[in-house]
Amino acid sequence: MFHLLLIAVRSLAQHRRRTFLLGGAIAVVTALLVVLLELSTGLRATILRSATTLMTGHVNVAGFYKVTAGQSAPVVTQYTKVVDVVRKSVPELDYLIERGRGWARVISETGSVQVGIGGVDIQHEPGLHQVLRIREGNLDDLAEPNTILLFDDQATKLEVKVGDLLTISAPTPRGVSNTLDVRVVAIARDLGLLSRFNVFVPISSLQALYQLRSDTTGALMLYLKNLKAVPAVHARLREALQAAGYAVMDDNPKAFWMKFDSVNREDWTGQKLDITNWDDEVSFVTYTVTALDMLTGILTFVLLIIIAIGVMNTMWISIRERTREIGTLRAIGMQRRRVLWMFVLEALVLGLISTSIGALLGTAICALLNAAHIAVPIGVQLFLMNDTLTLLPDPAKILGAVLFISFCTTAIALFPSFLAARLRPISAMHYIG
Amino acid sequence: MHQLARSLALLGLLLGSSAQALMNQDQLLQLLKTLDDRQQNNGDYRALVYLEQKEKDQTDVIREAIVYRRSEDQRLIILFTKPKSEQGKGYLRVDKNLWSYDPNVGKWERRTERERIAGTDSRRADFDESRLAEEYDPSDDGDDKLGSYNVHRLTLKVKPNVDVAFPVVKLWVDTATNNVLKRQEFALSGRLMRTLYYPRWQKQFSESKKGDFWYPPEIRIYDEVEKANSTIVLIKTVDLRSLETNIFTKAWFESKSR
Repeated sequence: MFHLLLIAVRSLAQHRRRTFLLGGAIAVVTALLVVLLELSTGLRATILRSATTLMTGHVNVAGFYKVTAGQSAPVVTQYTKVVDVVRKSVPELDYLIERGRGWARVISETGSVQVGIGGVDIQHEPGLHQVLRIREGNLDDLAEPNTILLFDDQATKLEVKVGDLLTISAPTPRGVSNTLDVRVVAIARDLGLLSRFNVFVPISSLQALYQLRSDTTGALMLYLKNLKAVPAVHARLREALQAAGYAVMDDNPKAFWMKFDSVNREDWTGQKLDITNWDDEVSFVTYTVTALDMLTGILTFVLLIIIAIGVMNTMWISIRERTREIGTLRAIGMQRRRVLWMFVLEALVLGLISTSIGALLGTAICALLNAAHIAVPIGVQLFLMNDTLTLLPDPAKILGAVLFISFCTTAIALFPSFLAARLRPISAMHYIG
Repeated sequence: MHQLARSLALLGLLLGSSAQALMNQDQLLQLLKTLDDRQQNNGDYRALVYLEQKEKDQTDVIREAIVYRRSEDQRLIILFTKPKSEQGKGYLRVDKNLWSYDPNVGKWERRTERERIAGTDSRRADFDESRLAEEYDPSDDGDDKLGSYNVHRLTLKVKPNVDVAFPVVKLWVDTATNNVLKRQEFALSGRLMRTLYYPRWQKQFSESKKGDFWYPPEIRIYDEVEKANSTIVLIKTVDLRSLETNIFTKAWFESKSR
C-alpha cells in the first residue's frame, strides 16, 4: 500500500501544473466552506449570547395568568414557591434570575416605539454586565426606580440621551391603562434584531406599571453549567412542577409572545406554567442561521459539482497519459484492485492536501476578519445580531468539511479509476497517446 | 363695620351659590343615568362609521366600518368595509368576550375589550352603548364654561371590581341640553390619556325605545400621550330598525367577511 501511496504522490508531483490548478480549486472551495461554517457558528453563538442575555435563560419557567378566559398576562404568581421546586430538581443549575416581562409603548417628546420590556434586578444580572456594551450612562443606575436602559437604535428613534425622560404606556393585566415616567440611565450598543425590541427597567417599576404584586414575576430564567443538559432539565422540570401540583402548558416550541393568541383562545383561567428553552424563545430569529446553513449547503453543492467535473476530467487525462504505464504494471503482475487503489489514492491525497490547505486558508481569513472588527450595515446587523462581523471556528465542523470534500473528490475518482483498472494489459501497452 | 357686614354678606352669597351649583350624589347618579339613557336604544342599531386616523410621520388612514349593536346582551359588531386591506376585518362582542377576526388568516382572536380598535385611538366603548352609571361613581366638580357653553363638570371614578380602560374620567356636560361636550380619560397613574370632543349631537326617534335616541355624529379623539396622534370618528346613517336575529355570530361575520 505504501508503494501505491508513493506512486500517487509522485504522480501528483510530476504533474505540478494540473495538481496546482485542481488542488487550488479544491482548497478555495474548502476555504469558502470553512468561512461560511464559521459565519454560521458565529451567528449561532451570537444569537445564543444575545438571546440568553436579553430575553431568555437556557431554560425558562414562565407562564400565563388569566383573569378571564380572554385576558392573559405573561406572569408567574407566587414565584418563590416555584423557585424552591426548581432549585430542588435542577442540580445542573449555575444561577437563576427572575425577569419581568411586558409589552408597552415607550414615548418621548418626538416619537414612540413599541417594545418588549424586561424588568430586571440589575445587581443579580451577571449576563447583562458581561454582554451589554454601554455607549452612554451607567448600567448599575438601573438599580434606581423609574429608570430605563435603551439600545442605540431606540435612542435614535426617540431622539433621547441619558438623563432624558420617557413615558411608558401599557394596559395592566385587567386592561386598565397605566403609564410610568422613567429616566434614561444607560444607552447600550445594538445587538441586532433582538435589541430592537427590548428595553430594561427595574423590576419594581415594571410591577408598578402592571400593578403586579412583589411575589409576581414574568419568568424564571435558569442558566445551566452545561448547555448539553438543556433537554434533560427541560423534561425534568416539567415533571417536577406537575408533581408539585402546578398546571403546566403543553410543549410549544415558540417564543412566549407568540403564544398569546392560542392562550387567549383557551377557556381556562388562573395560572399555568410554561417551560421553554432558549431555542424555543429565539425560534423566530434562528431562521437566519437556517437560511445561512441552506445557502452554505447550496453553494457547497454547486462548487462540489464543479470540482467533481474537474477531478473526473483530471483523472481521465491522467489515465490517458498513463495508459501504457497501466499496461506495463498490469503485465508485470499488478492486480486490478491495486490499479484501482493507485488512482483512488491519488485523488485522496490530492483531496486531503488541498482541503487541509483550504481549511488553514479559511481559518486564517476568518481570523483576519475577526481581527479587523468589520462594522456591518444596519440591515445586515438585523440578521447577524451584532454590529460587527463575528466568525467563530468550530474544529469539529472544519474537520468535517475537510473529510467531506476529500471523500467527495475520492468518490468521484472511483469511476475513472475503475475503468483504468479494467484495461487489458496488451491493449494498454499498445496504446499510443 | 358696615363694610365688614357687606363683605360677610357677599361671602355668604358666594358660598350659598356654589353649594347650590354642586349636586348631591343622587342627583349625580341621576345625571349619569340620563346620559346613558339618552344614548341607549333598547333595541337594535346599525350605523355607517368612518374613522380617520392621524399619526405622526404617517399617512392619514381612513377606514369605513359598519357598526351593529343589540341592547339585549350588549352585543356589538364592528365590521370594516374599507380600505381594501381592512375589508372583512372586525370585532364581535358576545358574552363579554371581544373577538377580532382577520379574513386573511381566517382566525378569531379573543381580545381585551379595552384595547384600541384597529390600532386607532378609539376604543370599543366609543362605539358601544353608554354605561357610565353602571361602571363609575361620580363626583361633582361644579359649573364651568366651555367656550360659549355653560357646562357642568363631573369626575367619574371606576367602581370596585369593574374593568374599564380608563379608571378616571372627567366629563363636561352642557347644562342646557345634557349633551356631553368634552371627555377626558386618565390612566391609573393619573396621567391624562385621551381627550374627546363631541361637537354635535343628533336625535332620532326610536320605535324600540318609544323615545328619542341621541348620538354624536362626530367624535374627535386626541391622544394626550402621543400628542401628534388623533382619530376622528364620524357616525353616519344610523338605522334603528330590527336586525336579523342571527347577526351576532361568528358564522354571520365570516359570511360578510368573504
